[in-house]
Amino acid sequence: MWEWVWEGIRSGIVTTAYPAREETASGVSPGFPTDLPRTFAAAGEASVAASCCPTEALLSEDQQVVLREPRCIHCYRCLRQTETPLAWQWQGNYEWAVSPHPRVELAKKFGRSFRRSLHLRILDAGACGACLSEIEQLNKPYYNMHRLGFFVTPTPRDADVLVVAGPMTEHMRQPLLSAYEAMPTPKAVLALGACAIFGGVFGTSFASMGGVASLIPVDILVPGCPPPPLAILHALLALIGRVEPAACELNSSSPGGERGD
Amino acid sequence: MIDPKRLFFLFLILCGAGVVLAALLPRRANRVVLAWIGSLSSLTILWVGGAVLLSGQAWQVDLWNIWSLGPMVLKMDRLSALFVFIAGLVFLPVSIFSASYMNLPKYVKRYGFKSFGIYYHLLLAAIVLLLVAGDMLSFLLAWEAMSIFSYLLVNYEHEKEDTTKAGYLMLSLGEAGTIAVVLAFFLLARTATGLDFPALRAAAAGMGQASAWAIFLLSFFGFGVKAGLVPTNIWLPLAHPAAPSNVSAILSGVILNLGLYGIVRFNADLLPVKDIGAGAIVLIVGSISALVGILYAVIRNDMKEMLAHSSIENIGIITAGLGAGFIFRIAGLPALAGIAFIAAFYHLLNHSLYKALLFLGAGAVDYSAGERNMDRLGGLIRVMPWTSLFFLVGALSIAALPPFNGFVSEWLTLQTMLRSVELSSMGIKIIFALCAAALALTAALAVTCFVKAFAMSFLGLARSPKASKAVEVNRSMQAPMAILALCCLLFGILPTYVIPVLDNTIATFTHEHMVDELVPPFFTAPQGNARFPQEFVSEFHDLGAQVGRTFLPGQGLVVMHRGTEHNPVVYAMSTSYTFVVLILLMGGSLILFRVLTRSRKVDRGPVWAGGVRQLLPKMTYTATGFSNPVRVIFEAVFRPVIFDEMRETVAEHFLIAVKSQRQEVYILERTMFSPLARLGRWLAALLGKIHSGSVNLYAAYILISLGIVLIIQRLM
Repeated sequence: MWEWVWEGIRSGIVTTAYPAREETASGVSPGFPTDLPRTFAAAGEASVAASCCPTEALLSEDQQVVLREPRCIHCYRCLRQTETPLAWQWQGNYEWAVSPHPRVELAKKFGRSFRRSLHLRILDAGACGACLSEIEQLNKPYYNMHRLGFFVTPTPRDADVLVVAGPMTEHMRQPLLSAYEAMPTPKAVLALGACAIFGGVFGTSFASMGGVASLIPVDILVPGCPPPPLAILHALLALIGRVEPAACELNSSSPGGERGD
Repeated sequence: MIDPKRLFFLFLILCGAGVVLAALLPRRANRVVLAWIGSLSSLTILWVGGAVLLSGQAWQVDLWNIWSLGPMVLKMDRLSALFVFIAGLVFLPVSIFSASYMNLPKYVKRYGFKSFGIYYHLLLAAIVLLLVAGDMLSFLLAWEAMSIFSYLLVNYEHEKEDTTKAGYLMLSLGEAGTIAVVLAFFLLARTATGLDFPALRAAAAGMGQASAWAIFLLSFFGFGVKAGLVPTNIWLPLAHPAAPSNVSAILSGVILNLGLYGIVRFNADLLPVKDIGAGAIVLIVGSISALVGILYAVIRNDMKEMLAHSSIENIGIITAGLGAGFIFRIAGLPALAGIAFIAAFYHLLNHSLYKALLFLGAGAVDYSAGERNMDRLGGLIRVMPWTSLFFLVGALSIAALPPFNGFVSEWLTLQTMLRSVELSSMGIKIIFALCAAALALTAALAVTCFVKAFAMSFLGLARSPKASKAVEVNRSMQAPMAILALCCLLFGILPTYVIPVLDNTIATFTHEHMVDELVPPFFTAPQGNARFPQEFVSEFHDLGAQVGRTFLPGQGLVVMHRGTEHNPVVYAMSTSYTFVVLILLMGGSLILFRVLTRSRKVDRGPVWAGGVRQLLPKMTYTATGFSNPVRVIFEAVFRPVIFDEMRETVAEHFLIAVKSQRQEVYILERTMFSPLARLGRWLAALLGKIHSGSVNLYAAYILISLGIVLIIQRLM
């Protein structure tokens, strides 16, 4: 046991300085393609270029290819394919959380009392495990979400935020609804990862309904597959109005993000 | 004022009438008669006992003078009166309860009620006669009668094999104890001029050390069997589940006390222990009993078996208190000895009350749900609200939570243990420290035990169809529980009125009054009290120690032990004020909460059950699950034998069914009685070898033994 103490003293504080300072360590994020949109000579060429994306994150509009960030799963196919080279840059940042509501509205939802004490109920709606393992990282010394006042609770009765990971499978529909119902107001829903946003690589099927928003209103979405821990931290901070949510477009008419279609 | 002596004869006449009526009347009327006669005779002895307790005027009746053995005497002093009072306090509600309880179909169909009524009244009479016996002969006669009638009542369901076995074990161990007691009496009476207690007391004064030790060990063992102390208490956890619940209440609430009465009468009154080692033995045996009792109580799921083990625990605490008293008395610390005895007697009184209450509660549950296994109960609070409330009071009392009575006595016992710092011998101090630690662990486990008992039986979902069909018991079964619950509360919030009575009781054998040590006269001070000068009282006036002085009688409402100049207050508390504060706080916070949340909208949703589609009762927490941590932590004590049975598929990699069975043998049966039984069998086998069946050989044996006898005769 003494080694732990010694190890702790020896290694000093390892926790990231985010959100006070930017985190610049390499590998904290898988990144997204940047420098969009890109114009092609012909509309056909654009649709060919867009078709390389397995999750329809790339959308061809006339001669342009635009990126719908919430759908990207960082598969690098658009970067590696050679037929219609897109030659995009990848940006390594992580402040991706998107909300259908502006910051002021988000801040108003919880008020000041929750700014430093927010309890999360993690709900696995059918996830592969990647998102959950990223959440696990938040509890570890490097990200240490407790310093920002975020706590995981085992029961929705104590929870303020329902963090949903994974495509909305049929089997988890009832549990999700009863968990949401069991939460006291004010309550918020965080859709974690591409699957919870629109179904991800699983899409919609007889077993899955796609995104969480098809069942309950979602307040914040974290793109990524899986989203890195800092992206989740950013989402949580944005949820209580401590930081600005990302300005990317949701490309959807429904207020809670996209429905899997 | 009626003469207690005459009332006592009225009691005997009532008991006789009860016996005669029980034998004559048909079943239907019989139950009502049992309730009336039983409660009337209980009220009579309550009056008799209470009168002697309060006035202190002992009465005596000389019966026959038996040739060469001296007179047979009935005498009630305060010590007897306290036990008689407790017996009345238990018998009164139990008699009322019995009338409805004995209506259970399982009893009505197979067993007659006549025998129950007869034995019940005879047992009551035997118990009271035992307590007022003033000589050896009547004591032993009453003791035997009590043993036999209690056996007959425990063995009421005599067609069941388990019951009969438990009954025999109870009877045989009880008789072994009686033999030890008889031997102790013989040793004591060897030099005495008569068999009455004053003569024995006089004889004991000149007793040698070896005889004193022998008498102490014999009587402590003998009475310990009845009291349920280790190592001879294996009958208790078997007898309780076998007996009807009302008999269990008497067994725990009265009959175990009789063992303690014997210990006190013998070792504090007739032949006061003089050796500090004897006190240490009492203390250690008490502490071990307490710990063993509560450990098994936590893991048992049968409500009555759990309560039986818990009785062992409580008797252990009382015995530890008595042991501490003996040690302090021998070490020349009369004040601490007095406090220890008061604590022990207080706990004895409390245990009788709440254990009777809990057994009646278990009986009511059994009556209504037909089930005593806590794993298969649950959710009873919705269908049996009153029973639940009374059981909760009992559980809180036994878990030693203020403001109920268990708290006062257990707190006093533990405080007494801590005062062992005033002793000089290091060895005894260490023993005290270990015993106090054991008692503290016991107190903590008792809370676990009764959280489980209440939560698993009354809260949650009904885990069996029987439990879901339960209905509230009728008023004649609720009322007895209400009486006992009320007593639990009263004895908890008014300790300063109980302690002086107990102090007078213990003064019958310590001959010193220690009430000022424990209840400072804040209400009556400082008229002429050297130990409590005006300054001392005014110092505590600001703290509120004198609140109520103008309109309340008595010495005060604060229990406080005063030390030396150096350390003016050793410990202090007041459950009376605590109770008032508790009510104000709870009421105040309730009102505050209502006011603050008046304008809030309240959302009511279904219970969160982990998101399952349907919460089945079998999914919920069970009593076994709740107590499992204790079972794992104390595995070294329980030493379970686990049988695992697994079924695999053809591929032999996937288990399709795992059945794990766990068997625990009671620690004393494992470590004491099984080896003894094995030794007996081994000896018998050895002796069996010389019985070949040949007549010639037997003739040779006779010849050889005759020769040996002749040789011995010659040599002597």
